[in-house]
Amino acid sequence: MSPYWVAYKIALQETLQRRSTLIMDRLGGFAVVVSLYSFWTALIGDKATFLGYTRAEMLTYVLALNVLRSFVFTGRGWQLVGEISSGKISSYLIRPVSYHGYALSLDLAQKTVHVAAAIFEVALLAALAGGEIFLPRDPAVWLMFAAAVVMSSLLFFFLEFMVSCLAFWTSESGGPLFCFELFLQFAAGAFFPLDVLPLALRRTLELTPFPYMVYFPVRVFLEKVPPAEAMRLLGMEALWLAAAFTAAMMVWKRGVRSYAAEGG
Amino acid sequence: MAVAIETRGLTKDYRSPLKEPGLWGGVKSLFDRKYKDTRAVDGVSFTIQEGELVGFLGANGAGKTTTLKMLSGLLTPTAGEALALGHVPWEREASFQRSISLVMGQRSQLWWEIPAYETFKLNQAIYGLSEADFRTHLDELVDLLELGEHLSVPVKKLSLGQRMRCELAASLLHRPKLLLLDEPTIGLDVVMQKAVREFIKAYNARSGSTIMLTSHNMTDVVELCKRVIVIEKGRLLYDGPLDRLVERYADHKIMRARFTTPVDPADLKAFGNVVKYEDSTVTLEVPRAKMAAAAAALLASYPVADLNVEEVDIDDIVRRLFTNS
Repeated sequence: MSPYWVAYKIALQETLQRRSTLIMDRLGGFAVVVSLYSFWTALIGDKATFLGYTRAEMLTYVLALNVLRSFVFTGRGWQLVGEISSGKISSYLIRPVSYHGYALSLDLAQKTVHVAAAIFEVALLAALAGGEIFLPRDPAVWLMFAAAVVMSSLLFFFLEFMVSCLAFWTSESGGPLFCFELFLQFAAGAFFPLDVLPLALRRTLELTPFPYMVYFPVRVFLEKVPPAEAMRLLGMEALWLAAAFTAAMMVWKRGVRSYAAEGG
Repeated sequence: MAVAIETRGLTKDYRSPLKEPGLWGGVKSLFDRKYKDTRAVDGVSFTIQEGELVGFLGANGAGKTTTLKMLSGLLTPTAGEALALGHVPWEREASFQRSISLVMGQRSQLWWEIPAYETFKLNQAIYGLSEADFRTHLDELVDLLELGEHLSVPVKKLSLGQRMRCELAASLLHRPKLLLLDEPTIGLDVVMQKAVREFIKAYNARSGSTIMLTSHNMTDVVELCKRVIVIEKGRLLYDGPLDRLVERYADHKIMRARFTTPVDPADLKAFGNVVKYEDSTVTLEVPRAKMAAAAAALLASYPVADLNVEEVDIDDIVRRLFTNS
């Protein structure tokens, strides 16, 4: 049996074992969704649309955020930072196993549990809101959304992995990682749709990989991106993913080399 | 017999940033960082045959752990060469990693929230063990380490001793041909230390694996190792049989006696070298050969409430070795 599959199963067990942590995590996320929802409802007021979003679309954006937060923004960055600074990383480096494969398995286990919880919460909220949400009819849209989300999740994983590798060189890598995650969530559209921002700022952000993580998939889901444009953007996202993967691997290799030179 | 480990002039420098004290120093070091090189291991050469159980001694910071880390492939040396089981360790080939294990007493590879058995299953997959091999190896380890019911308890609920034994089992499931043990008995109570020691001995005898072990605990070394390698400040000081080391550098034992009434410490010189006298308790250094006679004479001539005899602290022997060289 593949070690990655075994690691996935163990991590799944462990996530379920930590019930109170899981419940707290979910409650925190739920509070964010409820506040975003109330905020946007107040802004829309009696208007038919606000910034090009109908009430149903805005509610869908907020609910989709809950699912995407659980699927995209999980990662293993903080664990990596901890394992490098405590030296626990050594126990992986001397075993014949790939650390990123292993970390990805653990991340996937986290995602499994959190996405399941998020979908349950979203269904609950949607029901409470009177079923007023937007669901695309075209299966092609669902497919494009799924492709975008899988890539977003890997994109986040490798970008976060790369930033966390700073811990190989400094004991103060927690700060940069925290700032990076905060900025990334803002630039990804995880606080509000990027349409809210001044055009120049939005255009600038669109040159970075960040909007591909939340803003782009949700807009695909809301059918706000024409299919041809969506395909082009999926291609761009794939390029960003390839770049992030290559960069993360390079930084990791240098980090391990420096760890081996400086001592664990 | 084949060679398991061979090192030649193994050297390791650590580079650490120098920081001037205070906030201003911190700001300055952001822009103009100066480094200091510290030599942790300095030109160490030795050869270990397959199946040997060698004790690796030295004071704190002598370079023991650094050497073990180089031999396991975690660290690349600054200079020198090493071959372990025919591989250059720091190239980290999978075939090399499948045949070694490094156990550090203060580090854990076990998953905290769930039973150790799950970590064992993970290691089975990592090392590619068949179900049959996994069962046989596990049964043997459970038997030797008396793990039994501990396997199904979440690791966080185990005592330190139980966890250390599970740690050993996790590191040995794949039957490494080379086992590097760094302070395997650290933090354990006396009973547990003994159990771990007996296990290491039995494992070495049963599997014929090569074992290199560091310890601050003289009993570990005395009971397990015929041969010891001593390093101090990164340099190799002694490499040879343990009995010769103890004879040569610890020609005496320590005798401690507590008296029921105060005595004049000057009178105690007849029994050995008085190291300390305090609260009616004397600490004496007594030559090995004269120990029995000295103890008997002391008991006969003084009101002794309590008496015990100990080996010299390993750090003492090592210090002596260092000053003698």
